[in-house]
Amino acid sequence: MDLPNTWLSRIVDPVLTRIAQGVSVLWVILMAVIVINVTARYLFDQGRIEFEELQWHLYSMGFMLTIGYTLVRDAHIRVDVFHERMPHRARLWVDFYGLLIFVVPFCLVMIWYGWDFFIYSFNIGEISASPGGLPFRWFIKAFLVIGFALLLLAALSRLSRLYAGLFIRGT
Amino acid sequence: MELNEILALAMFFAFILLVFTGFPVAWILAGLAILFTCIAIIVDIDLGLFTGVDWLYTSITVDRVWNVMENWVMVALPMFIFMGLLLDRSGIASELMTSFAKLFRRVSGGLAISVTLIGVLLAATTGIIGASVVLLALLGLPVMLKQGYAPMLASGTVCAVGTLGILIPPSIMLVLMADRMAMPVGDLFLGAVFPGLLLGSLYVLYIVVLGLVKPDLAPKLADEGTFDFRELQRLVLAILPPAALILGVLGSIFFGIATPTEAAGVGAFGALLLALWKRKLTLPVFKEVLEETTKTTAFIFAILIGATAFSLVLRGLGGDELIERTLLNLPFGPTGVVITILFCTFLLGFFLDWIELTLIILPLVSPVVVALGFDPIWFTVLFAVCLQTSFLTPPVGFAIFYLKGSAPPDLQATTIYKGVSPFIVLQLIGLALIFYFASLVTWLPAQAY
Repeated sequence: MDLPNTWLSRIVDPVLTRIAQGVSVLWVILMAVIVINVTARYLFDQGRIEFEELQWHLYSMGFMLTIGYTLVRDAHIRVDVFHERMPHRARLWVDFYGLLIFVVPFCLVMIWYGWDFFIYSFNIGEISASPGGLPFRWFIKAFLVIGFALLLLAALSRLSRLYAGLFIRGT
Repeated sequence: MELNEILALAMFFAFILLVFTGFPVAWILAGLAILFTCIAIIVDIDLGLFTGVDWLYTSITVDRVWNVMENWVMVALPMFIFMGLLLDRSGIASELMTSFAKLFRRVSGGLAISVTLIGVLLAATTGIIGASVVLLALLGLPVMLKQGYAPMLASGTVCAVGTLGILIPPSIMLVLMADRMAMPVGDLFLGAVFPGLLLGSLYVLYIVVLGLVKPDLAPKLADEGTFDFRELQRLVLAILPPAALILGVLGSIFFGIATPTEAAGVGAFGALLLALWKRKLTLPVFKEVLEETTKTTAFIFAILIGATAFSLVLRGLGGDELIERTLLNLPFGPTGVVITILFCTFLLGFFLDWIELTLIILPLVSPVVVALGFDPIWFTVLFAVCLQTSFLTPPVGFAIFYLKGSAPPDLQATTIYKGVSPFIVLQLIGLALIFYFASLVTWLPAQAY
């Protein structure tokens, strides 16, 4: 769907795209960490807890940071049997109301309760429960909130573009 | 029926209806969770009926999302996606295709057989259904049509074989299923090996028989040189590295050398080395593969998050007990219950995608099946075969859509539907065989480690 850009989307979309490019590098690092950990275990008989924890830290950062980007790129899975045959404006309306009624409130709820979740961990200075695990458990928990905040931004950006596409002509 | 159970039913049907608006599935699920929390609270306050669902309850979603984040097993998912895309986009898969086609071209139906074999191999590498159907449609379909294959047979083969990707391990669907069923990924991978090969063999058998009975549907190549040593060498060189990679990944899980997460990471690394060694990896291709990995991973986890919220609220409204009671009150006996579940899944598969069925239906029905004393791995594999079949069934067969999207435009949808029908029958035969010979599933995991 071709949509006009707005001042909001001109700020938000490039930022999310840059983050996603960073995540691309994250996947390569994740792969390297796994290979190094496996090699270390077999060559030196030494698997390391912090490496295993690093793996899921990287992976969860990877998907939490890019769910919003995937919305910007309109790559979330749709069942498009009927969607494809709908008139252009009807499709815009579906997305407009869907984002407004479903995505925005969901993000707000997740950010609201996710913040409590993060701040609790921060206040008690939570670290990994396993011996040799990574410190700063609150750091990775922050990505839960950041992820939904980015998703909210992506939704607002797309809402502004849908609004422009629906109501403003000649843009 | 209690009021909150009516709400649970309404929630479920609202989902099925809203899916057809074409709004992204992940957000329909997430949004309905919020919407029905609101409704439950309103009912609670205004009608004074206790529903058990309020904001505090729905906020458990945060903890569930955290459980996904710290789930080390699921790290395998982006790595398998990366590995599959790498083999696909770097052209290693297409090289395999051409080599196989040369080997079998003198057999009647040989091309279709090589498409099947390549599909089985690809299935093991990609595990992403769209990717393998599109690849087979682009590579296999034109060759088969040019050689005078009936378009029906050619398109049916491509569709059916392409769907094997989600069944034959390593498959991202099985990783998700194992997670929902709280069973080891390795066991489920191993359980699915023979059922996947069984279905592949059924396809080959069908094509061979058809080639013998009606050679004009699947003609062999008339002339085309001799098969010499050099060609054999090229074939071996094309097949060996990717085959070794897959066997390495599966083998290391089988012998307990590596966890599925490690096998996925090392497999991705192997695929990267392979692409570099074949000089098939340019920087733009590599960037594209990484970008696709990001998007594929993100949309799967978006649905996972949405489904988590949805299932939580559905459970809070008593949807689980409703399903359980309904299933256990069926007058068919335990086997009948399993058949009913599989049949309903098959029907739902006409409309829904594997991700939703895995994330929402599987956790709803599995406690009942386990309580009835069935083997969970056996049931999960049957469920997986059902989902795989759902890709082929009209009106919403995704394999058919993918094929239609990438095939020559003069290929009619009706031709594809007709071509797919015999394969749906083969799927049902396979399903019945796995149902009655449970050892097809249970034998291999029992041998492992």
